[in-house]
Amino acid sequence: MAITVYFFGSLVDITGQSKKELNSFSDTDALNLLLQKDYPTLISTKYFIAVNQQMIKTNHELNNGDIVALMPPFSGG
Amino acid sequence: MGEKKIKNIFVEGAISSQKIADSIQSHASKTNIGAHSIFLGQVRADEKDGKQVASIEYTCYQDMALEKMHEIRESIFAKYELTCMHVYHSLGNVMVGEICLFVFTSSKHRKMAIDACSELVEAIKFELPIWGKEIYQDQTIVWKENK
Repeated sequence: MAITVYFFGSLVDITGQSKKELNSFSDTDALNLLLQKDYPTLISTKYFIAVNQQMIKTNHELNNGDIVALMPPFSGG
Repeated sequence: MGEKKIKNIFVEGAISSQKIADSIQSHASKTNIGAHSIFLGQVRADEKDGKQVASIEYTCYQDMALEKMHEIRESIFAKYELTCMHVYHSLGNVMVGEICLFVFTSSKHRKMAIDACSELVEAIKFELPIWGKEIYQDQTIVWKENK
């Protein structure tokens, strides 16, 4: 099992996809760094990260099967 | 502990005025209600560089949004003496002038219903992972950000 990454809102346009399966990463910082390398526009884009639907504010350990979501500021309603 | 019941708040496309009317009508039998408060969000024809918004396309992180909405619902019920609470939010394309958010609270007296409705709307706008993409008449897009 790998790690599933979901992109939402404007991040779908930036990455050209809404879902990506990646091989294991030790933590969210490592994952974020790789994504920013693949999609440099992310560096100048504001977004939050959730792991298994829980918002995280600092680096977070990742395990196989985790679901990571990259979310720009919300704009519902 | 009771079983956690996650309600789906999402509807495809605009929320029809018939749905709103039906929702009001269905409360006629709940005679302990003395006040309803309703908030309706409508897609506005914003202008930018001489272009006008034609519609907004909504997407969400559904699992997380429904889980979060459940938490919001519980906290509002704990804080206010409500008889009922209903929330509907559009997904997909909603044209200018159409309704994209319907929040409906009912209580014995007006203050509880109004205050709960108002707090709910703020929570929905700032805490639910929903995104709106403004589509202009010339098909260019701008991602909305709530203020």
